[in-house]
Amino acid sequence: MRLISEGAEARIYETRFLGMDTIVKERAAKRYRIKQLDDKLRRQRTKSEARLLYAASSHGMNVPNPLLVGLTSICMRRIRGRSLHEFTTGFARIGRARLSGALHDAGVYCGLLHNLDIAHGDYTPANLMLDNAGELWIIDFGLAKSTKSPEEKALDLLLMKRSVSQDLFQRFLAGYRKSCAYSGEMIKRLAEIERRGRYQTHTLMAG
Amino acid sequence: MAILGIESTAHTFGVGICDKGRILANQKSMYPIKDRGMIPVKVAGFHMRNAHLVIKRALDEAGIKPGEIEAVGYTKGPGLGPCLAVGQLAATLISKRYKLPLMPVNHALGHIEVTKQAFRLKDPLVLYVSGGNSQILGIVENPFRHYHVYGETFDIGIGNMIDSFARAAGLVPAWGSTVAKAAAGGRYFEMPYTVKGMDFAFTGLQTFAEKSLESHSVRDTSYSLQETAFAMLCEATERALLLARKRELMVCGGVAQSKRLKEMLGIVAKEHRAGFFVSPNELNADNGAMIAVVAEKMYRSGQHYSAGQLNINQRYRVDTVKVTW
Repeated sequence: MRLISEGAEARIYETRFLGMDTIVKERAAKRYRIKQLDDKLRRQRTKSEARLLYAASSHGMNVPNPLLVGLTSICMRRIRGRSLHEFTTGFARIGRARLSGALHDAGVYCGLLHNLDIAHGDYTPANLMLDNAGELWIIDFGLAKSTKSPEEKALDLLLMKRSVSQDLFQRFLAGYRKSCAYSGEMIKRLAEIERRGRYQTHTLMAG
Repeated sequence: MAILGIESTAHTFGVGICDKGRILANQKSMYPIKDRGMIPVKVAGFHMRNAHLVIKRALDEAGIKPGEIEAVGYTKGPGLGPCLAVGQLAATLISKRYKLPLMPVNHALGHIEVTKQAFRLKDPLVLYVSGGNSQILGIVENPFRHYHVYGETFDIGIGNMIDSFARAAGLVPAWGSTVAKAAAGGRYFEMPYTVKGMDFAFTGLQTFAEKSLESHSVRDTSYSLQETAFAMLCEATERALLLARKRELMVCGGVAQSKRLKEMLGIVAKEHRAGFFVSPNELNADNGAMIAVVAEKMYRSGQHYSAGQLNINQRYRVDTVKVTW
């Protein structure tokens, strides 16, 4: 196994399994927190991530399906492509129409997840990948939750809103409205969360 | 020539004087907190009676006359309305009497900038933790140069959460330090842990901890509460550090005095090879010098305010402030 990336959450290794290109996501121990708390969080999150990845992929969604699950690691299919974050921040170039289309799809997928009572928990461009065929994939279910709570789901919208420009967010909402069975309620909830006033007035990107 | 700054967001009425960033005076009077926390109008009355004394002590410490002051800064917010109003009034009177420009300062910026200056930091990721605030911030240039809030508490500040728990546990709420003492040698038991991306929430944890006092010792509960709350802050901070790609991590605000929190954040910084800086305790506590330092930056970078803009705002968000220096 070769280490290919190291994030805040986990180390990602590349490897091959059953003749497929795969990655292994290992939740590294965090030395800043006590062992009991750290073990509990890593195990809980690994288990929940694998379960939700499976739930989403078995409903035909574009997520890396889990192939083998350990205590703190998951082996899953490798998605080859680039993260949307690279495009929304201008780090990599893409046509305006393609970017806008990808955000629309991101909205559609978000709505489908919510229909399955899954809140992603970190639904930002950094966790959406565009593969070489132009298909959009949702990755990193590390903070995802199986929940009926409208608040949890609305937070997915909020995170996206805070991560992209205004017009891209409008494209996202257009997609979301198409797929989510109760998008009107969720968009209202988003406005309500924002009204509570703890949120900044502008996003990381200029509008 | 010097800049005078007045801080009065909560329990502290502080007056600081600085010149080209050098702090010449930093005087304060603190409302004595007993066991029940603060009633804003009572605290404001206390500040009212003490304001002139603190201003005089600051001028004496700096060894300057009022005529040598160039501009006056006061805390516009966020904070308790009645308390903010006292600082604003004092600053307005001085500015009228000596015909000086007034600078409305954001309280969080005070904590950040004074620490940044103390260590000569360039572009740190900031964890600002105090009674009423818990935010992760860093400078972003768009749509204008400001401190972007990468993450923050969804409900209450971590300091107030710890103090409320302290009262429920029958401990004296002395800025979290009694909870830290009570936690020594404790054993961990599971508590709710709420981090969403780079944001976090504390009320669920507080309620759970207070209920746990019925079945667990104060020691174990204090220990578990502290470990859980600080781990939440560290996880969110670590994520922001990587996202923002900053090379310096800085912690400031009242809760930055916690030894355990400093230790944990130090590990986070070290693992990502970032420099780690903790604000000195005299600057973590609310003080006037930090308001003077920001007022000077605002004044020297050409900011100008007319009467209508010299208000107070209890919910004055740091990410609405243009950083013009």
